[in-house]
Amino acid sequence: MRPILLAGHERALTQIRYNREGDLIFSVSKDQIICVWFSHNGERLGTYRGHQGAIWTIDVDPTSTILASGSADNTIRLWDVKTGKCLKTWDFPTAVKRVEFNEDGTKLLGVTEKRMGHMGTIVVLDIKVDVEAEQSDEKALTIVCEESKATVAGWSYLSKYIIAGHEDGSVSQYDGKTGDLIFNIPIHELNQQITDLQWSQDRTYFITASKDKTAKLITAKDLEVLKTYVADTPLNSAAITPKKDFVILGGGQAAMDVTTTSARQGKFEARFYHKIFEDEIGRVRGHFGPLNTVAADPTGKGYASGGEDGYVRVHHFDKGYFDFVYEVERERQNRLAAGNA
Amino acid sequence: EDEERISSADVAVVEARRRLLNEFYAWRAAQEEELDEERAVLGLPEDPVAELLEKTKPAEAAADGGAKE
Repeated sequence: MRPILLAGHERALTQIRYNREGDLIFSVSKDQIICVWFSHNGERLGTYRGHQGAIWTIDVDPTSTILASGSADNTIRLWDVKTGKCLKTWDFPTAVKRVEFNEDGTKLLGVTEKRMGHMGTIVVLDIKVDVEAEQSDEKALTIVCEESKATVAGWSYLSKYIIAGHEDGSVSQYDGKTGDLIFNIPIHELNQQITDLQWSQDRTYFITASKDKTAKLITAKDLEVLKTYVADTPLNSAAITPKKDFVILGGGQAAMDVTTTSARQGKFEARFYHKIFEDEIGRVRGHFGPLNTVAADPTGKGYASGGEDGYVRVHHFDKGYFDFVYEVERERQNRLAAGNA
Repeated sequence: EDEERISSADVAVVEARRRLLNEFYAWRAAQEEELDEERAVLGLPEDPVAELLEKTKPAEAAADGGAKE
């Protein structure tokens, strides 16, 4: 696996996203700048400037036309991917920690921070995937998280549900149209916050990462936990790889948080687990600080990680990665091949 | 005898994996079918993005600027 080091950010990375084609990588950081890179060679295509605070989150619509970002400056901004122009700014009373487009790019959700006098919320904005269009000022929906604030959220298949991960380790399922809470289930250890939520390609299941040192594979429809991946460090991010049945976990304790009894300092690795068997398969070193974000190329060609160290590392999978199969997987492949013949 | 014990442990592991793999793919197949049905009922296209991509194509060809560095 040849890594490409993307040096363009000056502070810790907060989120990385690939576009649907997998040719572009969008990255955001506490340095208040959004960068876009070519995934194949790591060349920086451009930057999007305007936020006045740390940027916590980024997403791109499925046609790679518009970009949404959420920041500590209490705004969600919409950008023209091609020109870098800011198309729209929505103001909120608190920081925006997560944004995500639904599957057709017509809705955007934003997770707002809880602060004295303000509950944490999940807002929904109607979006026109058109750089010329006038975007609506009004929120289509506001969900107030009364129990525990949401830290992450996303849209399920058909935009049927909004799924949120909370500070208390629980996961909620809301009706995607009305915002009504359908259920809230304790999934991770109590009060160990959920730090990431990423989807399978068809958005019928997702993976959560938590400070409780585990990641879990969960169904969108019933919030049933299918799999649990156990790590030895608090996790900040988790992604599901297409093509291969793997998941990638990122985390690590910052030096300042490492007690003398914990000897895990300095182990900042992306960890690969088998999605179905839950075994750890391998680790990829490189970062000099915790991994804050990992993202899988939707075309299955590689992955990217963003660190507290300010670097984005892009990895293209090699032949060994694609060839690696368990004996029972080979059996299954052979059986399918025989069936098709 | 030891060898036998080891190999029967291996067989058990392999059996367990086979079961997990089959379970997961059976669940996926059911899920995919259900999703296709729901899409059909709602009158949505099979691929939610294919149509969108068609719509945005002409606009893309016109504005081939690239974000400013």
